[in-house]
Amino acid sequence: MSQGLDNLKHIVVLMMENRSFDHMLGALRKTNPKINGLTGNESNPDTTGANVKVQANATYQGQFQHDPDHHFAGVDLQIFGGDMGPDRVPNMQGFIKSYSTQGASVDQSHAVMSYFTPQQLPILTTLATQYALFNGWFASIPGPTLCNRAFAHYGTSFANVDMNLFYITDPILSIYSRMNQAGHSSKVYYYDAASSSLEVPNLLQNQPELFGLYKDFVADAGAGKLPEYSLIEPNYSDHPGPGGGQILACDQHPDHNVKAGERFIAMVYNVIRTNPDLWKSTLLLVVYDEHGGLYDHVPPPAAKGVDGLKGQPPYVAKPAATGTGQPFNFDRLGVRVPSIAISPWIVKGKIVPGPEDPANQRIFEHASIPNTVTEHFIGTYDARTDREQQSDTFLDLLTDTMRPDNDCPAFRL
Amino acid sequence: MAKSVLSKDVRMIDVPEVDPGSYNPDRPISGLIHMQLVHLSAAEQRFPPNKRTGVNIAMLHKEGEAAEYIAKVTAMLHPRGGKKKKKSGKLRPSAKKTPKKAPAKSRKGGKAAKARR
Repeated sequence: MSQGLDNLKHIVVLMMENRSFDHMLGALRKTNPKINGLTGNESNPDTTGANVKVQANATYQGQFQHDPDHHFAGVDLQIFGGDMGPDRVPNMQGFIKSYSTQGASVDQSHAVMSYFTPQQLPILTTLATQYALFNGWFASIPGPTLCNRAFAHYGTSFANVDMNLFYITDPILSIYSRMNQAGHSSKVYYYDAASSSLEVPNLLQNQPELFGLYKDFVADAGAGKLPEYSLIEPNYSDHPGPGGGQILACDQHPDHNVKAGERFIAMVYNVIRTNPDLWKSTLLLVVYDEHGGLYDHVPPPAAKGVDGLKGQPPYVAKPAATGTGQPFNFDRLGVRVPSIAISPWIVKGKIVPGPEDPANQRIFEHASIPNTVTEHFIGTYDARTDREQQSDTFLDLLTDTMRPDNDCPAFRL
Repeated sequence: MAKSVLSKDVRMIDVPEVDPGSYNPDRPISGLIHMQLVHLSAAEQRFPPNKRTGVNIAMLHKEGEAAEYIAKVTAMLHPRGGKKKKKSGKLRPSAKKTPKKAPAKSRKGGKAAKARR
């Protein structure tokens, strides 16, 4: 076991919203060809038939007044370009077509091909180039937020591919319940009451003791009471603060200001970075739940393992739920998302290869989160899906060498 | 931020301010926030009628007004102090509870503990 793993006492996950890998980090390929980003020649046809290339014209806000489609049928169009044939292959050619179905004009529909320059995103860029960037972290399903977040909480979405209410009927515990039941500590920290948690259908309704606020995260970290596993939810809306202040959404969901999300990522990082005890004993994962309908050039691979409990029929989403006229067997991952693992025990500038390097590829998805936490803190645990158990874990990124303090940056807010 | 705990030669990176005028609580709610309202509305049906908000979520179209409703129901579900609520319906089979162990390195039952044995 590495020294970094031996020192590991806390895993913290910050899950942001609705931005693809290429949209946020694709430009980094120019400075580091190992990063599977954009060459600049990637394109999609628009509804006039014109081929529209990716463009470095992403803006912090205002481009996506119509929310790009990220429901199952819309993402299916994005990935397969409209091909519904039995032997279809992902071509990543349907993003503009999909956005044009959301009320966007021809010109507006091109916005899904936009990407940020590294200079526009100093926080995410710094973290991606200073720590471990995953070339192959994908949304768990080609669909919307709640189902993807369910994979981070439970290792499955219980056959759901949409945003409707669902109730857990199988004996699969959330990672928080598993941890607490095994005598370990865990918590979901949501931003504030006005933002709340997205895990309303199951956890917040039934186990409010698993929750805290962001200010509790800060306090717990400072008091040496940070749980062994924490998931942080950003603020999902612009709303008044206490005493009449203005609280900006910081989740980066279109069309919220991306800079606000950069500031929040910096804040969370700093909480850990400026606490010497936490810095040497914590792995922070900054990840996005899904791509939000924004372009990425990497076809999603097949999912590993069966999404279902051993001895039970595997989960299948019915055609009425998928909206494509076809069932979905949870055998294919969603679109690629930014994901960065942060720790002083991680080699500077580590790139974890994805599908671009078939001999060395490592494929991650949100089930990797409960799998990693379960394996590290609990050990053998079978009451979860085969898919979760087969998902790749990421603690092997921790090495025997802790980078010196002056080699790891901090952010000035 | 407590810079004083960092070495003086730590590279500090400036975090840009958000543009003034970005704040817009009148922004139309996204599909995500709409579903959050639906879920919270369903959740508050668990409370007796005289404890519910009485808000018709179909009338909530802007982020600011949605946030106000979300705050009310979230406070009902998760009062500060996090008191454990009695489960009102069977949503999952009750799991066998193991007694909580004292906080110590030996608590780790995963790979970390196994390698040290």
